[in-house]
Amino acid sequence: MPDATALLDDPITFAVVKNAMDAIVDEVAYTVVRTARSEIVKDVMDFSAAICDAKGEMVAQAKTIAQHLGAIPEAMAAVRAKWNGKLESGDAIIVNDPYSGGMHLPDIFMFLPIFDGGEILAWAVVICHHTDVGGRVPGSNAADSTEIFQEGLRIPPLKLFHAGVMDEALEPLIALNVRVPDRVIGDLRAQYAACQVGAREIGRLVARYGGQQLRAYFDALLAYAERMTRAEIATWPPGTYRFADQIDSDGFSDDPVPLMVAVTVREDGSLKVDWDGSSKQVKAAINSTLSFTKSNTFLSVRCALRGDIPSNAGVFRCIDVSAPEGTVLNPHPPAAVAARALTGYRVMDTMFGALAQIVPHIIPAAGEGGNTVVCLGGRDPDNQPFIIVDMISGCWGGRPDQDGIEAITNPSQNLSNTPVEVLERQHPVRIEDYGLVPDSGGAGKFRGGLGLRRSYRLLADEAILQLRSDRLRFPPYGLNGGKPGGVAGNWLVRDDAKRAIPGKVTTTMQRGELLIHHQAGGGGHGDPFARAADAVARDVRNGKVSVAAARTHYGVAVDADGTLDESETVRLRTASGRA
Amino acid sequence: MRETRVGRDARIGVDVGGTFTDVVLALPDGRIFVNKTTTTPTDPGEGVAIGIGAVLGDAGLDPHDVAEIVHGTTVASNTILQKTGGRTGLLTTAGFRDVLEIGRIRTPGMFNLAWRKPEPLVPRRWRLEASERIAADGGVVMPLDEESVRRAVTTFVTEQAEAVAVCFINSYVNDAHERRAAAIIRECAPSLLLTASCDVLPEIKEYERTSTAVVNAYLLPAMRGYLSNLAERLAVLGVTAPIQVMASNGGMIGIETARDRPVFAVGSGPAGGVAGAARLGLNLGAKDLIVFDMGGTTAKAAIVEGGEPQIVTEYEFRDGISAPSRFIKGAGYMLKVPAIDIAEVGSGGGSIARIDAGGLLVVGPESAGGDPGPACYGLGTDLPTVTDANMVLGFLNPKSLAGGSLRVDAELSRRAIETHVARPLRLTVEDAAHGIRQVANVNMARAIRAVTVERGKDPRDLTLMAFGGGGPLHAVDVARLLGIRRVLISPVSGVFSAAGMLAAETIHEFVRPLLLPLAALPDGIVQRAIASMNADGRTALGKEGYAETAVQFRYSADVRYSGQSSQLTVPISACFDAPAVHAAFERTYLETFGYVTAGEPAELVNVRLGAIGKANERLDFGALQLDARALAGETGQRPVSFIRGAARMPALLVARAALDKAPIAGPAIVESYDTTIVVPPHCTASAAGCGCIAIEMEAFDA
Repeated sequence: MPDATALLDDPITFAVVKNAMDAIVDEVAYTVVRTARSEIVKDVMDFSAAICDAKGEMVAQAKTIAQHLGAIPEAMAAVRAKWNGKLESGDAIIVNDPYSGGMHLPDIFMFLPIFDGGEILAWAVVICHHTDVGGRVPGSNAADSTEIFQEGLRIPPLKLFHAGVMDEALEPLIALNVRVPDRVIGDLRAQYAACQVGAREIGRLVARYGGQQLRAYFDALLAYAERMTRAEIATWPPGTYRFADQIDSDGFSDDPVPLMVAVTVREDGSLKVDWDGSSKQVKAAINSTLSFTKSNTFLSVRCALRGDIPSNAGVFRCIDVSAPEGTVLNPHPPAAVAARALTGYRVMDTMFGALAQIVPHIIPAAGEGGNTVVCLGGRDPDNQPFIIVDMISGCWGGRPDQDGIEAITNPSQNLSNTPVEVLERQHPVRIEDYGLVPDSGGAGKFRGGLGLRRSYRLLADEAILQLRSDRLRFPPYGLNGGKPGGVAGNWLVRDDAKRAIPGKVTTTMQRGELLIHHQAGGGGHGDPFARAADAVARDVRNGKVSVAAARTHYGVAVDADGTLDESETVRLRTASGRA
Repeated sequence: MRETRVGRDARIGVDVGGTFTDVVLALPDGRIFVNKTTTTPTDPGEGVAIGIGAVLGDAGLDPHDVAEIVHGTTVASNTILQKTGGRTGLLTTAGFRDVLEIGRIRTPGMFNLAWRKPEPLVPRRWRLEASERIAADGGVVMPLDEESVRRAVTTFVTEQAEAVAVCFINSYVNDAHERRAAAIIRECAPSLLLTASCDVLPEIKEYERTSTAVVNAYLLPAMRGYLSNLAERLAVLGVTAPIQVMASNGGMIGIETARDRPVFAVGSGPAGGVAGAARLGLNLGAKDLIVFDMGGTTAKAAIVEGGEPQIVTEYEFRDGISAPSRFIKGAGYMLKVPAIDIAEVGSGGGSIARIDAGGLLVVGPESAGGDPGPACYGLGTDLPTVTDANMVLGFLNPKSLAGGSLRVDAELSRRAIETHVARPLRLTVEDAAHGIRQVANVNMARAIRAVTVERGKDPRDLTLMAFGGGGPLHAVDVARLLGIRRVLISPVSGVFSAAGMLAAETIHEFVRPLLLPLAALPDGIVQRAIASMNADGRTALGKEGYAETAVQFRYSADVRYSGQSSQLTVPISACFDAPAVHAAFERTYLETFGYVTAGEPAELVNVRLGAIGKANERLDFGALQLDARALAGETGQRPVSFIRGAARMPALLVARAALDKAPIAGPAIVESYDTTIVVPPHCTASAAGCGCIAIEMEAFDA
């Protein structure tokens, strides 16, 4: 491990290089947003960008998808093992196979080597979630596949660009195997353009500081993040902290899928995170590769640290993660993994439950439990193929000192949403509502955020609907006496008949049918009877909490206009009222 | 041209900032008079009146001699930041009352579980729904239930709303329901102030359009109150000249437009400086510029190309300091109106330096402001700022600032840096001061990168024009970080934004959404859109007294590849030629992103019109005559530490007037009453005309 000598020699240049790296990765990310073709990338922003050093350690990550950050090392290792020494400037390698370092098939990684003289100095990395990579279901994201071969085109580390030119054999192969080739090829080009921006800007840093010195600063940046991480963990109370949470089911059986964690805080400022006791790998596609399990473990710890630690691989060095082979958190091939993001969210929820025992002043109650994915694919009235991959985000749980946020990305992502008008303009669908679900926030001194609802009416003759959602059975947990959030729900409405459908399902929708999704609400934090009566009244006034819920969950007597009955509230909040 | 009455020929620019209100009075012969007075936050009009009174006195003019007042106001931005806007209601399509609160879901940072999402400007209780629905193709899915609108109005009135915004889904394609609902609201509650989204700028994306309409409605009561109050105050003073307001796009708008569409003036203050820099650059033959404005709390950067400020068509207005990176959204209020593309970072003279837990030197965004200000002011703080670093290194006069009006103590700066930076980092005080300066410079360079590198422009091709209290102190070092070789220092740097407003043109912006394939546009559709915008433009300018001959139209088109959702804006001519537009789009795309797939189908998203009112009386920097105070300054020598680790060098102290006689080689320092200009070694400063100073750099790596 390089020590901090380089940093201490010249703290000023170190600060300068750090800021420059942050700017560069953000410029790379911005290029993706501006040049991508699919809503999932340009509107929802399901992509990430990073710069790695020559050894593949991530030196800087853009403010994009947190879940991707810990998965880069494995993919990078696979790429370097196959391609080191065989690359030149302008080449780019892609990979998506989860068993070759990827995460799930729609996420195509692109690695572009950045040279200093004849040597690789760094790598520009851009990961995009592609709209479709083939397989049995539009969107290639189905939760109900049972082996990886059903999930689409598997790409081991292959060279897609040769000195700036897309490979003549690979391009048609990819295009032929996906449902929306224009978008996929367009987004791959966007990834390449963004990587080139990274190379150009790193080149400028090399011109300024020289490659040798820049390498030293990369080492110093990693050491800096590691040192800050260790220093902070060393202040945590040593011991082992356990927590368990669960996924409703894998969709094939009704069996819950439990996740169990034991987090050990060591006095040297490192953490041991052991997932022993978690479910065996499952039939459905919610298995999480070990790299993805690590990624979500890292980001959970990162959330418990101060905000000003750089997002780089130095943080990972302080955290040992293990999960037994053959579990849902470290599956054997050819287990299906397309919908593994769900398991990633639950990894974070479980980690938060353990971390809340260590740093209770930082960790919130459980949020919605991960975004819901709605995939609708078919042919539009002009017989052109369409695929909608829409993600419905949710809310955060109540926090130790404030309410949970409503309508917000999961902390493990940094997703946006697709504007209703954009979706309707491009696809045969009409969104009939998009709003908050009253009373879905878990009661607490600090209330959990409300869940979101979104409804889709199909305007094409027929479409395949593939839905991935969870927390229909097991609601987001509360903390410190706070109540759980409201559960999620899915319904299909045909001719005014509304029927509930499962959390994970692939089915057919007909013209005019309406899909309604309610996202789960966040758990509450602290005793609801300790919530300020004014805050409850404000929630009632704004239609976020009903008059009845204010009375039963919070012991607050208030009318629909938010006028408090103070004496009745006092009565309700005394022991007799509670009983 | 616009009529100007004989004898009434003084024009006054007013820039109300957070700390100071700057007033500049310009006469046609090039004489200018400036005043800096303390801003009066509770009633900004008071400070404006004081400042105007002062410049009139200095110039020996009568209030009736004032022909026009151009006003950059922070009323709109402060109203949002301080949440002091009107009680505002929102009427939406049924099912979408929460669009405003949901926003775009993202967070500006990562891993921060304590983050607070900005509160919507309209609480949920006042967000009501009307039964209606327009489809994406403009067809009516469900007719407007007028009764549902009337019920909503009743609630708005009962809840004592002052203003209401209306924004329906897909109204950018078909605004019939939205207009009808607005008419019903007007009819049922004539006293409610009203903004329909289609009357601001009708573009696709419901959240952005709703947010823009809501901000506009929210600002209506405050802006109207302020402008009426200001007009009254000026009338008491005897000034009856028309008031123009600076808009975020660097143009002026009449007071009537500002009263109806205050959302166009949210970026009013900083726009004046950029508009002025653009005009100044034209006078100097420097049509392409980086504009760099460093104040006490923040530094701002913008680009001028071909003599025009670069414009964005949407931006996020946020509390505190803007992150310079453009895709980090979620921290503020989205405004889909044209604005100068200004990147702002939290580095200014008052930015505080500290060491973080990992041993990293951090500068800003916390600022000591003007009170207590930097440690050298001796007003009770010992936290070191960028100004203190400049003090320790010898860049600033160690005894007094602002032409001798502000006493300072350099020893206090030294002590502050020693305690808080040098000792923890085991550096000398000088090295620590260099560090603070350099970290601040890198932050400021990042703002410039955001408007150049992120836009595919190479800053090395451009000249940096600096102003603001701190701009001339840091300009050369910031330029060097970016490989820029030429710096211009504006005249009256400390009050340049106010002066710049006097150079701005009147501009009204219009847009028509089309969203059609560029290669298959129905006959005449663009021409019809242009004709209808022309009519709107003539009407708006006609109301402000511009004759037909004084009106100039500037057209542009928003184009993207099919499937993208970000677009590039390219200039077009009135006789729209689709293949030419496609070619121009591909050129711009290649410049911006470094690659292009030639021949790929593109989509025409919007056509835009900027209707410009021309007038002769705009400030002519070529005729500018600086007063004696600006040209005088201390002379002699001062030891200055320019380079970390090297010995101090004696820097020549020169008065600005001396530069008119001969160029001066660095190291030198030019002190004047409103700023200090640093000419480092290996640089040469010379008079560049129009009161500017040019600093040319030899190839040299700092």
